[in-house]
Amino acid sequence: MTLSTAKGARAAPVRLTERDLRGLVFTAEMYGVQLDLLAGLLDLAPAGAGRVAARWRRIGYADSARIGPGRPWVWLTRRGLTACGLRYPAVPPALSRLAHLRAVAAVRLALESASGYRQAEGYWRSERKLRARMGGRVGLREHIPDGEIHFPNGRGVPYAGECWAVEAELTRKTVIRTAAIMRELLARTADYGSPAAETAVPGRPPRHARVLYLCSPAARPTVARAAGTLGAMAPRIEIRNLPPAAALDGLGCS
Amino acid sequence: MITRYLTLVALRGAVRLAGRLLRAAAIAAALVAAAPVSLVAGYSAALAWLLGWPPRRLYAAALWCLPMVAVWLAWTGLRAPSGGALAAIATAPYHAWLSMWHLGAAGSVAAAAVTIAPAAIPLGLVAGGLAWSRRIYSMRAGTGGLTPGSPVVFDQRQWWHQVRSARARIAAPGSVPLTTPSGDVVAGAVIRAVGHPQRPVAVLPYARLRSHQVVIGTTGTGKTTLLLRLWAGFMATALRRHVAGAGGRPLLVVLDCKGGGDSRRVADRARRVLRDAGARATAVWPDEASLSIWDLPPGRLVTTLLDLIEHGSGPAAYYADVMEAVVSLAAGAPAGPPRSTADFLARLDPGWLAAAYRTGRHDSELALIGSAARQVPDVALRFRALFRRLGPGLDGPGSFADADVWYCILEGTAEIAVAEAQARTLVDLLASYVAHGAGRPGGSAPEVLLAVDEFSAVSRRLPVWQLYERARSLGLAVQVSAQSWQGLAGDESERLRIAASADGGIWLLRTPHPDPVVALAGNRPVIDTTRRLMGAALWSDEGSSRLRHTPVLDPDIVRALDVGQAAYIHRGAVTFVQVKRLVAAPAALAPPAASGRPGWQAAVMPASLPGLADPASLPGLADPAGPVVPPDAGPPRAAEPGGSPVLPDARPLLDEAFGPESR
Repeated sequence: MTLSTAKGARAAPVRLTERDLRGLVFTAEMYGVQLDLLAGLLDLAPAGAGRVAARWRRIGYADSARIGPGRPWVWLTRRGLTACGLRYPAVPPALSRLAHLRAVAAVRLALESASGYRQAEGYWRSERKLRARMGGRVGLREHIPDGEIHFPNGRGVPYAGECWAVEAELTRKTVIRTAAIMRELLARTADYGSPAAETAVPGRPPRHARVLYLCSPAARPTVARAAGTLGAMAPRIEIRNLPPAAALDGLGCS
Repeated sequence: MITRYLTLVALRGAVRLAGRLLRAAAIAAALVAAAPVSLVAGYSAALAWLLGWPPRRLYAAALWCLPMVAVWLAWTGLRAPSGGALAAIATAPYHAWLSMWHLGAAGSVAAAAVTIAPAAIPLGLVAGGLAWSRRIYSMRAGTGGLTPGSPVVFDQRQWWHQVRSARARIAAPGSVPLTTPSGDVVAGAVIRAVGHPQRPVAVLPYARLRSHQVVIGTTGTGKTTLLLRLWAGFMATALRRHVAGAGGRPLLVVLDCKGGGDSRRVADRARRVLRDAGARATAVWPDEASLSIWDLPPGRLVTTLLDLIEHGSGPAAYYADVMEAVVSLAAGAPAGPPRSTADFLARLDPGWLAAAYRTGRHDSELALIGSAARQVPDVALRFRALFRRLGPGLDGPGSFADADVWYCILEGTAEIAVAEAQARTLVDLLASYVAHGAGRPGGSAPEVLLAVDEFSAVSRRLPVWQLYERARSLGLAVQVSAQSWQGLAGDESERLRIAASADGGIWLLRTPHPDPVVALAGNRPVIDTTRRLMGAALWSDEGSSRLRHTPVLDPDIVRALDVGQAAYIHRGAVTFVQVKRLVAAPAALAPPAASGRPGWQAAVMPASLPGLADPASLPGLADPAGPVVPPDAGPPRAAEPGGSPVLPDARPLLDEAFGPESR
């Protein structure tokens, strides 16, 4: 794929590889990504990921900085987002959400590296994409999951055709709040961005067949207790530990 | 002597004049010296007058300036030489004031303004608030203004300023949401509050909508707009609570007792507005949906059927007894209760009854059938005529569990007798639904709001107060609306009973006879001031004041309310509200009817759906056959004996991605 680096006829063309495209879209959808995770995504050594990020910076598609503990973060500029065809606001990852963003990116990478996921041809729909679908209509109390996974029909896996909500839990909420979020996700019947009237329509099939909770050791007991309060809906909650790569250097997963 | 007296009078006048001039000069000097504060105070007080703000709004603005003041003082302290920080902070306003004058004298007006702003803005806002508060108080007490009529003019002007601000607020997009984040319902923008806290928007706690309310307003005053907003607010909050597991599924039942085309237009508007608020389906009865009287428990069914027929008194009571016996036999037959009108009418036959009870264990019933055999055809005739007039709306299928909103149109104007019977039956059906939990397997009780409009037109067989009492015992909230005080109920004691038990408050729109509600709202103490008349159109500032009680709700304001304005009375206080109109989405095409059910039912719920009250009852959870994933997702899954679906095993994927899980 060849793109021009600037407006006008004198702009030098830039050749982007499939790897670049995968990395750019991933980075855009996850708000931003740390270099070590980018290296894992692109199957490169950290130094190689650094070179890729530097090239993106050079052509004006990305920006990077050491904004938190650990390796530098990379995020897309307005130009990079436009090149990807995504209309998200071009802002660096929020400092208060770095640990969470890293955890979600690590969860996504862990899933996407699993052979079962690839066999099922699972598709990750990021929180950023869900929020973009909602426009400015996200209610104050409405909960958006950290991601959705769609498994297409007829892929030879038992969960084909299902849609899962994914939640990465780093910190402890109250059991009541966690249970309310679980109920809301399990009772949802419409896509994000649909009219409010279709959000939870009894009689329609639930949108999320199950909710996958990836928890830090600190948050796991609360999530388990909240799931226990759901009664018949409890089997639709899957609880697992966050992968080791989810820890933001220096902060850990607690 | 006269000359000396006149001289003294002139001297006294001159001294007084000099004193006043001196005072005015001192005030003017102080105002000039504190020019920035004076400017902010004057501006803020003028703004408050123009927009009809209460003084507390200026005080709140002053409070919001405190962070700025804190930063300014901290910066001043940091810049001070070591050890002198406290002194620098203490004298900072004075130095800023001095610097302001120096900069101003040097021609740097902008720099002067920036220098004094951190001190002048909050102080000016407080001063403006105090001045505005003083002005309001003097006008209320009758001591302000040049003439005794000034307070009246002031109040009238303030009303218009407040109305203008409230209208501007509801016109601003997003400034008046339907509900607050905490689930309270926002009715509109506050025009004026007497006794209630004056907030920018009128917020109604959800609990008030779960209590009884009364709404009074003549045609064309915005009553429907208000009702739609309250209903939508109830629906949005109750659904949110339900999804969060904090309450039962909401059910809104509207009994529109006027009938005709106007009711149908309102029903259509309600359907669109409530859909936007989250209601999955609105059933319009009897036009598009039906209920089944035959779903009533047998004992209740007999009572309801007997109440549908008018009985005479005296010798006619004999026929009432015969009818009760025959209906009891038909409804309580060993074969089970009737399932339809045709089934019931077929049973009103001596032969059918005798055959049904000829089981060997019902000799007394057989004897009763034999003695009443001559009257049974008469009873059948009366019920046949009754059901023909009632129409198919009560012959099923359908129950209140089928929709979130039931808009029931009763032809109270055109066919009073029929509407009375329908009203009675609908209330019985609703009471039975709430009491016996139809369609709610193990779920929590539904949160029901019963809204009745012009119920007095059809309340001959079910007095409104009885409806109130019954609703209270069942945990229903009742909202009674009428075009006038007289329309609330048949007689005055009943009206007072209804209004006095409206725990959720009374909404009063423009009406020519607000006095009974004004009396219910109560009084408040005000200062009444007289002034001494000195001559033609000249009053002195001498007089006397006394405390007297005046109604909390000014009846003249109510008589003059504009369209969309309402007075909300609660706990002896009143808030005047400019109601924000809900803009409904365009009408949707009615989905095609399927499987013998009305179109709206077929579209929103599968025929086999057993219950709708709890999130756990969603298909795929309580319904063993229901899919847990979208219909195109794959083959249906088997269910566990407990009713929960068996989800396919995703452990291999999760173990691979996140490591094996010990179970």
